Amino acid sequence: MDKQSFAYTVIFTAVVTFAFVLLLAMANELTIEQIEFNQEVRLQRSVLQAMGVEFQDDEQAAELFERVEQIEVNGLGLYSYERDGEQLYAKEYAGSGVWGTIRGHLGITPDGTRTLGLTVLEHEETPGLGGRIDEGWFQEQFRNKRLVDGRLEMTSRDGTGDFDEDSGEIDGITGATGTSDAMARIINDHLQQLTQALGGAA
Amino acid sequence: MSSAAAPGPILRENLWTNNPIFMQVLGICSALAVTNLLVNTVIMTIAVVAVMGMTNLTVAIMKSLIPRKVRMMVQTLIIASYVIVVDIILRAYVPDISRELGPYVGLIITNCIIMGRAEAFAQSNRPLISMWDGMTSGMGYMGVLLSIALIRELLGFGSLFGYQVMPAAFEPWIIMVMPPSAFFVLGIIIWIGKAIMEREGAPA
Repeated sequence: MDKQSFAYTVIFTAVVTFAFVLLLAMANELTIEQIEFNQEVRLQRSVLQAMGVEFQDDEQAAELFERVEQIEVNGLGLYSYERDGEQLYAKEYAGSGVWGTIRGHLGITPDGTRTLGLTVLEHEETPGLGGRIDEGWFQEQFRNKRLVDGRLEMTSRDGTGDFDEDSGEIDGITGATGTSDAMARIINDHLQQLTQALGGAA
Repeated sequence: MSSAAAPGPILRENLWTNNPIFMQVLGICSALAVTNLLVNTVIMTIAVVAVMGMTNLTVAIMKSLIPRKVRMMVQTLIIASYVIVVDIILRAYVPDISRELGPYVGLIITNCIIMGRAEAFAQSNRPLISMWDGMTSGMGYMGVLLSIALIRELLGFGSLFGYQVMPAAFEPWIIMVMPPSAFFVLGIIIWIGKAIMEREGAPA
């Protein structure tokens, strides 16, 4: 058969395309469970971290997560966990950053006066600049942080973090004002929703 | 292209005298994007080596069957398939790094080194030597990117592979974290490379 003919070209292209799509479908099929499992583990770790619940490894995280309940408080979907008779809450947050959506979990006390912690699951901020929101020092600032007038203030000091639990302030990221402002806006929006929902109960 | 078709000369040519990055200046977009941390660079360049080897192998095996009119399209299809396979594997087994690399793994498809080697070498050579050519070209890319990443991570974060090596008093250079710095570092590397080559008397 003439390799340059129209019929050969069409048939060849169709066969090759089919073969490679099949290869991709197989690769996808083989790894889909692992990928879903990874996402599940990440979600569990994130929720627990946001509530300040400590765990050693993925297995322990999965075990602890069994005790996490999904509840609704005044129409707001929350994760709840009881630690030594004390109730902890976490909520998934999402909002637009500089380049894309920032998504994660925010933990809060039942009376809505302190955040318990913050995690970032997903973001598309500039690597090394805004992307540093996924670093430990940035997120640790939200540990047991007291809210001032139901809000947290993003400041721009030296970019090393504000670990004073009562300051009500978060030190933003040097060189990433856009991302820092976006985080402040997203978090305060969700804090408002949280304090409203929880305030109704308290 | 030179007529070298033995493994030794090909290795030397792809790693040094005809390095895809600093002699041909191909594939530099990803050189800017993935070189701010060594770990990301290592994973990214391993992915490129794998994709290049497999693409050249496949193109060389199929070359006599491919109609000329759709040659480029078929090459792109082959490259894209392998890149997606690599992306899926990264997502399943190293999810954290996969997230860090974000869209750049998918963008390996547009890396001109891969199609360049498929066109220039695999179209006219036997499968195994083509695979070797693809992999060594990928390693040439890897060598340059790792050098850039080494400088950028050291000066931008004060660390290597995530371990702090600079003293605490060291002030990180923010410019090194941003993509433009890769341009400067790449330029300097090309300069050094060419200078050494000239001294060796190799035909540049």
